[in-house]
Amino acid sequence: MRFIFNLTRREIRSSWRRLLFFFLCIALGVGSVVALRSLIKNLTQVVGNDARALMTADFEVTSTNDFSPTDLSTIEGIIGRSAIVEARNETITTSSMARPVDPQNESLEFIDLKGVEPPFPLVGSFSLSTGDPFDFKLLENSGAVIAKILLEELKVRIGDRLKIGENEFEIRGTFDEEPGGTSGFRLGGRIFVEKKAFDNAGITQNKSRVRRRILYRTSDNPTELVKELRDALKGTTVQVNSYREQQENLSEQFERTENYLSLTGLLILVLGGVGVWNVARAFVEQKRKTIAILKCLGAGGTRIITVYLLQILVLGFVGSLFGVALAQAGLWVARMQFVDAMPAKMSYAVNIPTAWQGIILGVLISLLFSALPLLQIRTIKPKLLLRDENNENISKLDWVKWLFGLGSLAGLLGLAVWQAGSLKVGAFFLGGLAATGLVLYTSAAILTWLLRKLKSFSSFSIRQAVNSLYRPGNQTRIILLAVGLGAFVVITVQIMQTNLVREFDFSRNRRLPSMIFVDIQKSQIAELAQIIEQRTGEKPDETPTVRARISFVNGEPIDYQQRAVRQQQGQIGREFAITYRDRLEENETIVDGNWWAANQKNEIPEVSVETGMAETINILPGDSITFDISGRRVTARVANIRKIDVRNARTAFVFVFKPGALDKAPQSFAVTILKHVAATDRQRLQREILDKFPNVQIFDVADIIAAVNRLVNNFVIAISFVGSFVLLSGILILIGSVALTKSQRVYENAILKTLGAKRMTLATILFAEYGLLGLLAGLIATGFAVSLSYVVAKYLMRIDWEFDPLVALAGVFVTAFLVTLVGVAASFDVLFRKPLATLRSQ
Amino acid sequence: MIKLTNVTKTVRSGTEDLTILNQVSFNIPDGEFVAVTGASGSGKSTLLGLIAGLDAPSSGGIFIDEDEITAMSEDGLARIRSEKIGFIFQSFHLIPSLTAYENILIPMEILGLPNVAERAASLLDQVDLTNRGHHYPSELSGGEQQRIAIARAFANSPKILLADEPTGNLDTKNGQHIFDLMKDLHRQNDVTLILVTHDATLAAQAQRQIILTDGRVSSDDNGRQTREG
Repeated sequence: MRFIFNLTRREIRSSWRRLLFFFLCIALGVGSVVALRSLIKNLTQVVGNDARALMTADFEVTSTNDFSPTDLSTIEGIIGRSAIVEARNETITTSSMARPVDPQNESLEFIDLKGVEPPFPLVGSFSLSTGDPFDFKLLENSGAVIAKILLEELKVRIGDRLKIGENEFEIRGTFDEEPGGTSGFRLGGRIFVEKKAFDNAGITQNKSRVRRRILYRTSDNPTELVKELRDALKGTTVQVNSYREQQENLSEQFERTENYLSLTGLLILVLGGVGVWNVARAFVEQKRKTIAILKCLGAGGTRIITVYLLQILVLGFVGSLFGVALAQAGLWVARMQFVDAMPAKMSYAVNIPTAWQGIILGVLISLLFSALPLLQIRTIKPKLLLRDENNENISKLDWVKWLFGLGSLAGLLGLAVWQAGSLKVGAFFLGGLAATGLVLYTSAAILTWLLRKLKSFSSFSIRQAVNSLYRPGNQTRIILLAVGLGAFVVITVQIMQTNLVREFDFSRNRRLPSMIFVDIQKSQIAELAQIIEQRTGEKPDETPTVRARISFVNGEPIDYQQRAVRQQQGQIGREFAITYRDRLEENETIVDGNWWAANQKNEIPEVSVETGMAETINILPGDSITFDISGRRVTARVANIRKIDVRNARTAFVFVFKPGALDKAPQSFAVTILKHVAATDRQRLQREILDKFPNVQIFDVADIIAAVNRLVNNFVIAISFVGSFVLLSGILILIGSVALTKSQRVYENAILKTLGAKRMTLATILFAEYGLLGLLAGLIATGFAVSLSYVVAKYLMRIDWEFDPLVALAGVFVTAFLVTLVGVAASFDVLFRKPLATLRSQ
Repeated sequence: MIKLTNVTKTVRSGTEDLTILNQVSFNIPDGEFVAVTGASGSGKSTLLGLIAGLDAPSSGGIFIDEDEITAMSEDGLARIRSEKIGFIFQSFHLIPSLTAYENILIPMEILGLPNVAERAASLLDQVDLTNRGHHYPSELSGGEQQRIAIARAFANSPKILLADEPTGNLDTKNGQHIFDLMKDLHRQNDVTLILVTHDATLAAQAQRQIILTDGRVSSDDNGRQTREG
């Protein structure tokens, strides 16, 4: 053992420089895994990790309508019989507009208003920005506690008064974080008021998007109670949710995201593994003589393998530690880059269990990828000290090698499954990686073969450069594979970005409204339309809207007891704005069934359903859907399935009724204008409308687009960030590969110099070699990136895809440039070696 | 005692088989100093490599004491080399990543001997390189490297010392110095010394000379006494 430890120590001392690439490959891979996993773990911790605190209750009964007396008595009956309910309160939320009372202040903000009653919160805690606990007294007598960011947005201070709806509220405090943290994407900042005042403000009258909740705290697991309530309320618009289920859904979502991100990290780590394999292979080759000497001195093959394995383990471990440090640095960079998009209180520290996981991964990857090259030690015979000859038995079937190869593959699969948290996803990952690798490798082989066929270049330098790509022990295909894979990821992201940005570029959609006004009452519509026309010079488009929810599909209630259905609850169970009209819009097409003829009288109400929803609730023309419209049930026959081209849409209604059935239903109007008005005029118009019609809600589309663009950009930056890590691994492999073939290049250059080649000629060969290599890598990467982005856009994101020649050209040339730069820089010194010293040492 | 019986070594060269050693047989008693000479390509180095178990013969047997090394596994051979054999090469073959001192330590550490540090220091002293122990091979002259290689070969006090043209890469003065050193160590430690050399003057100083011609023993003056007596 002493021999093993001593030799390992001495070998590390002398070889660490040569193994630096090995070390960096592992560090980069581990860094990616740890950084990505930590990021999502920290995010989970801030964003709704605690569903109970987020719900501020153990379970809730919620509806977007007023609770009907029947529903209420059903609920109260069941709750009354239960022994576990400890406390209850009610909340009501809606989106609204807030504006300062001060006439000098023209600010206007979209807000998320929440009316609460004591005790609040039922569970969890709620602190103000000052650190004091929330006190309900702050809300009494028209008080408001608002999100801190609103102070800035509305240009107000504590003590100022805000107008929301028809009521005025005094700002009595601010908070940084709501109970349970911030959850999800919200357009406006949150304002808390007293529930009583909320009702008085008149905001809830004729108002859509109001959500009422009855919250309960229980002394025991409420699952049975929730089930009983859900059964009793089947077919009504009332939903029952328990925090446990939400916790399950949330954790599942976060876990899935975390596992997918970890797979991205694993991809970088596997690329690092390829680097490790390459370095280990070259290392063993360089150490052949030392190994032969050791064998000659009496050390057995197993002991020598143990020495080098130990060395790999130590380097893998230290590299992984360095990777953890890199991850921390990466997280700090992420903080600088994304601080605005992330929750305020998020931690940017490396998660300790994740760090350990990363270290274990790093060491295992080091072992898996160096096992096969190290096994080569067995075949090195001490006799090479007497006569250097290649190992003759290399073509013989080596079952140990096969066994280790299969073992490594199984190990890799194990790691992928562990990281993905699923056998299927892990296997797909490895299969996908193998397929991509194979395709890239085959393309590389075909392209280099073609290049070889074109050998009749007139230039000596280029001929020589092409020859270099075939030098024995060349790294051409490995470099093409590694760099190609890195560039492939980055270019795919870039192409997706241009397509995504184009998708959300609203200047392309000439029918996208610039402003949307909703919740307009029938008595208000004429005057409101007139004001808009006066101020903008455009006659607005008016659409009647009715709020409705789905109660039954083909007479069956939607069964939210089923988990799969519950997961789509947001999509199916929400309140829909539906309309009625007798004609199809320009951007709509019928894919199944027929559009109704105008003026055709029919007793049975008919409805047209958008394709996506038809798929979700699984209906065809002829089926029936029963809607709950303010407590009244309307059953409609599905007349047709309709496709909406959202890229050319003014409005996009999921359900459209045939005129007749809804004419008498309680309805409001939505008004849209297309004209782009200057921002200040827009704000003035919104202010004027709100002063006159406080119940109306206004969506400024420019704001929404800006918010969406911010999201897309963050998404692109985040993926590019990860992609650049993949590219960096590829470049590392490139540098490593250049270093491995360097001695050969030095020798060749010495001979060429002796034969009279000028330094300029040699430099041209060098540039041509890496230029060609880079060009091939760029072509392969761009080719596959274009194909993949097409598939992703068309079938996964379902957005328009356009070929962007500029991005593609940039992809090819930037890759070629990078490879040339790195390749030439890493071997430039070769040109300046004196030939005699080189030839003598051979 | 080293015993070779009908040792033949054939290798594949291109499409043909090439016989390097052909039916070689001889015995070498313990403590004898034997010089093996012959023209280039006569099979001298191959013979030495076979005795050290660095390669296996195509046929025939090689015995060291009572053990037939031709029947041994790779690890068994490694043990025999570690315990019984020291090897000196023409091109030194020191491990470039270790210092001179560490190169001497290695065989003792492989065998797991105690007090290796003192022994290595004493060997360094014997080859007169005490102040060069911390140098790497690349920082030493050829003569110094070969002295370190000799110290390494003697580290485990082997019974057999095999030297493959140990002075071939050295100038005359250094060559003589190395030869004297080996001879002294041979005498002091009573080891069997087999020296492969081109140099007739050096060969003449051995107790016995075996001449190889085209892979066969063409002359073996068994029983001749060394001229130094």
